[in-house]
Amino acid sequence: MRDKDVRIGVYICHCGTNIAGIVDVEEVARYASSIPGVVVARHYTFMCSETGQNMIKDDIKNLKLNGVVVAACSPALHEVTFKNAVKEAGLNPYLFEMVNIREHCSWTHTDRRLATEKAKDLVRMAIAKVKELEPLEEVKAEVVNSVLVVGSGVAGLSAALTLARAGLTVYIIDKRPVLGGFVTRLVNIAPIGIRGREFVKPMIDELVEMPNVKVLTNAEVISVEGGVGNFKVRIRQRPTYISDLCTLCGYCEKACPIEVPNEYEGKLTMRKAIYLPFKEAYPPKYVIDENACTKCGKCIDACPVKAIDLSVKERYIDLNVGAIIIAVGHEPYEPDKGEFGYGLTRRVITSLQLERLLDEEGPTGGRFIIDGKVPKTIVFISCVGSLIGNKTTNACSRRCCSTITYDTLKILSKNPDSHIYILYRDIRTYGFEEELYWKALENGVVFVKFEEPPKVEVMGDKIMVYVREATINKNIVIPADLVVLFVGMTPSNAGEIVRIFKLSRTADGFIREAHLKLRPAETPTEGIFLAGAAAGPKGVMESVIHGAAAASKALALLLNKKYILREPLVAKVDEELCSGCLICVGMCPFNAISVKYVGERRVATVNPLLCMGCGTCAAACPSGAMEHNGFKDKQILAQVRAFAGVVV
Amino acid sequence: MSSEYEPKVLMFTCNWCSYAAADLAGTSRMKTPHNIRIVRVMCSGRVDPQFIMEAFAQGADGVIVSGCHPGDCHYMEGNYKALRRMLLLRKLLEQLGIEPERLRLEWISASEARKFVEITTDTVEKLRKLGPLKPRLDYVRKIMEEVVK
Amino acid sequence: MSPKVRVALYWLASCGGCEESQVDAISDKIDIISNLEIVFWPVAMDFKKEDVEKLPDESIDVAVINGGVRLKEHVEMVKLLRRKSKIVIAYGSCASWGGIPGLANLYDINEVLSRVYSEVPTLQEKGVMPRPKSVTNEGMEIELTEVLPMLLPLDAVIDVDYYIPGCPPTPETFLKALETLLSGNLPPRKSVIGASTRALCEECPLNKTKPDKVLIKEIRRIYNTKIDPSKCLLVQGIPCLGPVTRGGCNAKCPRVGSPCIGCYGPLDKHIDYGAKAISFIASILDLNDENEIKKALDNGIPDPAGLVHKFTLPASRLKVNLKRGEHK
Repeated sequence: MRDKDVRIGVYICHCGTNIAGIVDVEEVARYASSIPGVVVARHYTFMCSETGQNMIKDDIKNLKLNGVVVAACSPALHEVTFKNAVKEAGLNPYLFEMVNIREHCSWTHTDRRLATEKAKDLVRMAIAKVKELEPLEEVKAEVVNSVLVVGSGVAGLSAALTLARAGLTVYIIDKRPVLGGFVTRLVNIAPIGIRGREFVKPMIDELVEMPNVKVLTNAEVISVEGGVGNFKVRIRQRPTYISDLCTLCGYCEKACPIEVPNEYEGKLTMRKAIYLPFKEAYPPKYVIDENACTKCGKCIDACPVKAIDLSVKERYIDLNVGAIIIAVGHEPYEPDKGEFGYGLTRRVITSLQLERLLDEEGPTGGRFIIDGKVPKTIVFISCVGSLIGNKTTNACSRRCCSTITYDTLKILSKNPDSHIYILYRDIRTYGFEEELYWKALENGVVFVKFEEPPKVEVMGDKIMVYVREATINKNIVIPADLVVLFVGMTPSNAGEIVRIFKLSRTADGFIREAHLKLRPAETPTEGIFLAGAAAGPKGVMESVIHGAAAASKALALLLNKKYILREPLVAKVDEELCSGCLICVGMCPFNAISVKYVGERRVATVNPLLCMGCGTCAAACPSGAMEHNGFKDKQILAQVRAFAGVVV
Repeated sequence: MSSEYEPKVLMFTCNWCSYAAADLAGTSRMKTPHNIRIVRVMCSGRVDPQFIMEAFAQGADGVIVSGCHPGDCHYMEGNYKALRRMLLLRKLLEQLGIEPERLRLEWISASEARKFVEITTDTVEKLRKLGPLKPRLDYVRKIMEEVVK
Repeated sequence: MSPKVRVALYWLASCGGCEESQVDAISDKIDIISNLEIVFWPVAMDFKKEDVEKLPDESIDVAVINGGVRLKEHVEMVKLLRRKSKIVIAYGSCASWGGIPGLANLYDINEVLSRVYSEVPTLQEKGVMPRPKSVTNEGMEIELTEVLPMLLPLDAVIDVDYYIPGCPPTPETFLKALETLLSGNLPPRKSVIGASTRALCEECPLNKTKPDKVLIKEIRRIYNTKIDPSKCLLVQGIPCLGPVTRGGCNAKCPRVGSPCIGCYGPLDKHIDYGAKAISFIASILDLNDENEIKKALDNGIPDPAGLVHKFTLPASRLKVNLKRGEHK
């Protein structure tokens, strides 16, 4: 744009006193109005309020603005708000630029003069960019009205149910041979005290009966192509070997000669290579542990209904879906051998093994005994693998504190003479779960606060636990009969998931959401949503909510839609300038760039549905033929030049 | 160096990690040096070395390019491309009389507000020691003006 | 018959290659000469500065100047020619962006002079620096023009109307430029004429041999590599500047297995040719480990400025080694 054609409005937000308390907003507005091309510069208490937005809309209409700059908070918060306002007033929303003078300025500086100077610089840079902006039209993409849910724990089930009830086609897959996820291993879901598999059973029952739901177990996504509205997903399904003819008679299990530790029982007992993971598991059939099975064929002979076929090979399934929900959950932390005495004696156990010992259906029939004896003194160590231990995520696992207190009460109800110590760094029984904490206190559970992690030493029959109590600042030694390590949640295969789905991870290794507070059920990639503990530790209730939230986001995207509109901030080739050197093609991690012919000339071309808009190709393009919409060379250069005080 | 010299620093941040880290620094009310001006791009891989040349030619005393940590790029590999470009650009800058320290490439994740503060503070301190670039640019400008006159 | 086009040809800091290309071009199309009236061409004919001074202002139709501005005398002459000419053309890489002599801008002028006049082995008396004033054996006082502290492209001193790129421009480029100028349909001022608007790859026969993704694991140079002249040099790890350099030479070098060294210079959208070259070369170096990248760059590109600014340093954004000013 040439200066004489430019009509820019600049709006400076006070954000109450958040900005105006440090930045001289009047001065910034005065300065902005002195810049050529700016026809109006206003400041107002809350630009994001209706009054503030109307101020912008009215100016666009009355003053025929063709560019808008809003200096307020981070674009992560209100870019969409203002873009919509600009659009509603009839101006192309891509002629708008947001300046961050709150997070990047008033909140991080104390000197009024310097903060004001910085705000002026940032506003000047934005104005320079707006002068170079061009109207853009959203990219239309056809959508497939189906959703893939990866993972069938509570979050995945909750998401799949929400979607299926709304009538979308839902594919739900799990890498395990049965549905239900981690929760099926829990006996007590605090504070309601219901068994995990009983909790998910009604969800699974409803889901598998629905005609628009397809379940794939033993299945993993191996590649994803395409983009929002139309993902092409390739799934590898490992063989299950056992057909639906299985009647659960159990002859195969008896015939199987191979025994391995039973992970469902916390490895406290053994199971066969052909086994039923747990009572009432879905699909209702036996499964074969591929790693353990020697394919001896004894089970085939034993099976009265000929349901077993060991020659089945893995198969590949290609799905076409409009959206994907990642609900791959977490893995419980597995302590190293010797970590807090774990693995050195059978009397140092993890919280998951404890679950099994408390279950009437567990290996002890619900009697709380270990090695045939009732443990009298029991020490709980919390936060293992989350805040303390060899490997930590530094993330609170959220469900453990309430579970610990609940479990102590359960132990006390079975063995009222038990002495129970809970060694903790912090107790976080938030909300109504606080009641459990008080009950535990009333029932004589001793809470010992530590700062330095406790030390555990196995001495014959006893396990000595050394800890420095942080409130009284004294060393304590507890000779225990049983030590329970409350293990935290660690990311489940997040590295692989992130690679396949092109996502990113947080510092603690979980999959990153688009915005921690404002977009917690979305990933930064359009059309890929996030549910449950895959995005960070969550309790059961939170996972159910998160799953439903991710599903609603997918519904908003797909329900009753034939096509969707995508942000046009993608790469585009100026074919007139392209020499066909192909440098850009090798840059694109999304294979969005290909080659086409214009007459005799070979030129690069970008598929706007595949382009994710990173701009790497534009930076590499040796001709300047590849441009990144919204971040064109001339637009960024205008900012750079304005940085030095030159308004171009 | 004159005690009044305040380095001018232009910082390119990716939208997903480093820009968010700067946001978090603000939200956490951490104090950052006032010398930094951020240009937001979608990915550190968008940063064309030409932009950096322009920044120095326009009088920036230092430039920071900041992206997601290796392996964490929102676009998978953009930050590696930035790394390759900046390493070669730094060699060229050195030949052109710009200390390589004036161009920094950093990985700052969205949660690393503390690192954002440390990097920016450290950059400003180092630039203060290196002194302003402007006299060198002025010297060239002066020669050119004299020739044309 | 239309009046002849009045042409002045002049050279500044240059090697004479530009003149050769001009002569080559005109020898092929001798009829063009009949349309031209050469009013000044000191390389080939006996002209003096006074001859130009005597001409009325804007009486020369086209002044074609090659070479970079290196001496005070050059400044005087080009200002004079500008005043006397309707159109001034920067001919060749040196006039357009400084060219190879422009690499001297990496050093302080005193270092350059000392290198040239005292360090380089010579049969003559060593260490005699050029002096602005000296007296001959016959007792005559003579003045020598002064060398400038840096080399400048022509447009840093005077307004330039058109650019004809190349080191030297090929005869075809020159003829095409002449054709454009004589057509009467002049392109916008400041444009490059006689060459392509796109990069050299487009006209390179080896471009077709590229795989879809151009990625390399090491950077190699022709002095230490056996290359396959039938395949794209870039794909073989040779930093060929074809993708970033203006076409128009018909890919003369890559065609014979020698990488493009960038003599046709920047494309219209470049703001710093060298930085853009850096960007694409580094981009295709498909390594992720910082130390491996450094090693590949140190081995493959020990002298980035010499590679990417062989012809363009004085017209780049920074123009010189900025530290040279500190020698004073």
